[in-house]
Amino acid sequence: MNIAVPTREQREAKLEGMGCKRKRVEDIRFTQGKGNYVDDVKLPGMLFGDFVRSQYAHARVKKIDDSKALKVPGVLAVITAETLKTVNLAWMPTLAGDVQMVLADGKVLFQNQEIAFVVAVDRYAAADGVEAVEVEYEDLPVLVDAFKALAPDAPLLREDIKDKMTGAHGPRRHHNHIFEWSMGDKDLTDAAFAKAEVTTKDVISYHRTHPSPLETCQCVASFDKIKGELTVWGTFQAPHVIRTVASLLSKIPEHKIHVIAPDIGGGFGNKVGAYPGYICAIVASIVTGKPVKWVEDRIENLTATSFARDYHMTTEIAATKDGKVTALRVHVLADHGAFDACADPSKWPAGFFNICTGSYDFPVAHLVVDGIYTNKAPGGVAYRCSFRVTEAAYCIERAMDIMAQKLGMDAAEFRLKNFVRREQFPYHSALGWEYDSGDYHTAMNKAMEAVGYKQLRAEQAEKRAAFKRGETREIMGIGISFFTEIVGAGPSRNCDILGVAMFDSCEIRVHPTGAAIARMGTKSQGQGHETTYAQIIATEIGIPADDIMVEEGNTDTAPYGLGTYGSRSTPVAGAAIAMAARKIKAKAQMIAAYMLEVHEADLEWDIDGFRVKGLPEKSKTMKELAWAAYNSPPPGLEPGLEAVSYYDPPNMTYPFGAYFCVMDIDVDTGVYKIRRFYALDDCGTRINPMIIEGQVHGGLTEAFAIAMGQEIRYDEIGNVVNGSFMDFFIPTAVETPKWETDYTVTPSPHHPIGAKGVGESPNVGGVPCFSNAVNDAFAFLGTRHIQMPHDYWRIWEVAKGLGLHG
Amino acid sequence: MDMSGERRIAASRKKVWDALNDPEILKQCIPGCESLEMQSPTDMTARVKLQIGPVKATFNGKVKLNDLDPPNGYRITGEGSGGVAGYAKGGASVHLTDDGAGTLMRYDVKADVGGKLAQLGGRLIDSTAKKLADEFFEKFTTLVGPMPAAAAAPAIAVKKVGWLKRWFGRKDPLPASR
Repeated sequence: MNIAVPTREQREAKLEGMGCKRKRVEDIRFTQGKGNYVDDVKLPGMLFGDFVRSQYAHARVKKIDDSKALKVPGVLAVITAETLKTVNLAWMPTLAGDVQMVLADGKVLFQNQEIAFVVAVDRYAAADGVEAVEVEYEDLPVLVDAFKALAPDAPLLREDIKDKMTGAHGPRRHHNHIFEWSMGDKDLTDAAFAKAEVTTKDVISYHRTHPSPLETCQCVASFDKIKGELTVWGTFQAPHVIRTVASLLSKIPEHKIHVIAPDIGGGFGNKVGAYPGYICAIVASIVTGKPVKWVEDRIENLTATSFARDYHMTTEIAATKDGKVTALRVHVLADHGAFDACADPSKWPAGFFNICTGSYDFPVAHLVVDGIYTNKAPGGVAYRCSFRVTEAAYCIERAMDIMAQKLGMDAAEFRLKNFVRREQFPYHSALGWEYDSGDYHTAMNKAMEAVGYKQLRAEQAEKRAAFKRGETREIMGIGISFFTEIVGAGPSRNCDILGVAMFDSCEIRVHPTGAAIARMGTKSQGQGHETTYAQIIATEIGIPADDIMVEEGNTDTAPYGLGTYGSRSTPVAGAAIAMAARKIKAKAQMIAAYMLEVHEADLEWDIDGFRVKGLPEKSKTMKELAWAAYNSPPPGLEPGLEAVSYYDPPNMTYPFGAYFCVMDIDVDTGVYKIRRFYALDDCGTRINPMIIEGQVHGGLTEAFAIAMGQEIRYDEIGNVVNGSFMDFFIPTAVETPKWETDYTVTPSPHHPIGAKGVGESPNVGGVPCFSNAVNDAFAFLGTRHIQMPHDYWRIWEVAKGLGLHG
Repeated sequence: MDMSGERRIAASRKKVWDALNDPEILKQCIPGCESLEMQSPTDMTARVKLQIGPVKATFNGKVKLNDLDPPNGYRITGEGSGGVAGYAKGGASVHLTDDGAGTLMRYDVKADVGGKLAQLGGRLIDSTAKKLADEFFEKFTTLVGPMPAAAAAPAIAVKKVGWLKRWFGRKDPLPASR
């Protein structure tokens, strides 16, 4: 009998650990329609709630008449602010330290604001009930334009805080002012500008857009009056935070609240916040004693739950004539809508926007952000990015291009000249961050070579000459972006949300047969945690990834964690996994030493078990050690093989990347073609290259959408004029360009496995890259900064404005 | 939304003026009007059923006549709520002048539409408004002073004319790649 001993390669391959292009295990159920989403939760006797919403952007609510609604068959109750006041829930705290109306209390401040919650036996009856509620309004002057918010005669929006001139982030200087936040050294920056050889100053706006996940926000609340327990199934990116907030608000003890986030169909930041729908469903369940479901429709999602961006960034760069940057000055007018409900850690009212020095070595910088109220939906979430990082990357990457143009320098050369150099890491930025690691020159040079940058510029020069000679109506743009992200929120010394520190957690139990379950404080919305987390454990403790189940989203079983957003899962929870796995490995080593009758120090790890140094035939696999851990542990050692780790990261991680876009634009039609898009990402250690590629494809597609047309637009009376997928740009396979991906690897020095996070990089780097391509295409005709989004019509308008249409 | 136009009506200015102040005539002319009641010589309440694009709604509204200058014209203003469908408010200045044996009626309309109507029907509001105006005047002309077919052709000039101009001159940008 000849039994083949598996080779080292075979043993390693069997684990499907880190670096393996392991197929996504969750796709088995998703591709067969067997996912279990909130709307799949169906409980006996379940009721449905639906909102009466404001038609006005700003109006006094004079009367809510529910008498006809209550006569609609199947309608059981109509909840208004007056009802909620009896339980002290007419207003709720926001994640940003403001308060927000749950249901309109006297007035409405944005279109589609929640006014009343109709509870009925089914969805249809609830909708009929909503139609039958009569609301009498008295319209008020509407404030839509952020630049008019702080005018002395601007309409007063927030009557509730009109005399409260100190907000959660310090003094307010106007009734529509929320906060002023500043970072950096003003005096040194002003001095650098005063003696600068060349300066630029531009208002660079990042328009209002929306994360628009495929599945909208929804929940089912079920209150058990006998046990006094509340169970909430919901689309929560951060289920534990929801449980804590629900407990603080409802006064139900936290152990009697069960929050379950089942499968989630995309989040992108939209599902971080707490919404009136959740509160109303919970109250309705407590009132009726029955489970209550609330499911947003598409218009409600686009117009009422958290938007993203709406940042107007006045950006100034100072530089020497030969192209060395000397200072950066940025003022942001941040439009937060009617309530400050943006999702940023407590100490950072503008998130990590102070990463806006980007990948460049600015000796000094100064940043001021003014948050303001307008008659628009509240929010300001990080749509596929860490807090305000896409805004910062767009700001600096556009401004660097503008400066290069003014200096007459090549945009790539200008960047190479100003990059933070490899030997400068860890690098302390002028606005207060410590960049952990990076190698920007290597990445940029690799990317330039891959796209044939020199040849592209030569081709562009020829095309421009041909255009000027009238031989072609097409112009060519080369977009460059070199972004540095800041992800993995975050170290408890500077990151918390409502006082809850932003650590994350993992609990691993290895079963006697050597299979395992890992429970996490994060929550996948499509990122593939079940696949990648298992790979980390596989490599760390030598159990095949297929033998490891990853479970998230149930607050009763999962260890406390802050959830998934801001690319924090791998940097924070990924580290917790490695640390928990290492605790297990340490115990396994003790067991192995006992079984092999050697000292622990005489053992070495070998793929899937321990072996005696110098005696490779004397070994114990993890599977054997797991059995022994339960059934024959060494004397004095308690049985079992499990570990919990809570990881408080020492620093953020700083992924970076070099993106190039080649675009051809027909000036007569405004139609663009993206000829090429190349994305090089450095996310440190790569756990699953296939998932990384998928993440990059998805992020680039969203970046493409945002840069080229995706916008939430308001008319002058506060109507959202593109609140459905008829008008809101969601690219399909037809519009989406082909993506080329590439990478370098610069591991994070402080992360247990060196990983940095990647899910959001392509959105952060992609948007400026597309926008720079459009701007670059027109630059030789005399444009300086063309605002996003760049849809065909707007591009056509630019060409028309330049007199290109004869 | 702005809209202006003129119509020739084969009736005396006095007759046209009276018709413009007659709720029974107005009720028959306003498309979808289910009721129109005079509360005072200048105030009316109306109930109108309308569909704009995918949104169907019954509007309950108030109509007021201002700047009465018989028989030369008035300004008619109104606002109506369509419940969850949204709201509309606005006004029209109507001027009557003699035109041979008939009367020339000029009007300038300015209206704001809000709520779901504006969100979903945004692209259709201008064209629907024009269609409704056509229907109104067709009926009004038929009732008050029918003209020979050629002369009765609508002379409405919506500010944004022609499909090309409507397409490119629109305030709404097109989605990026459709």
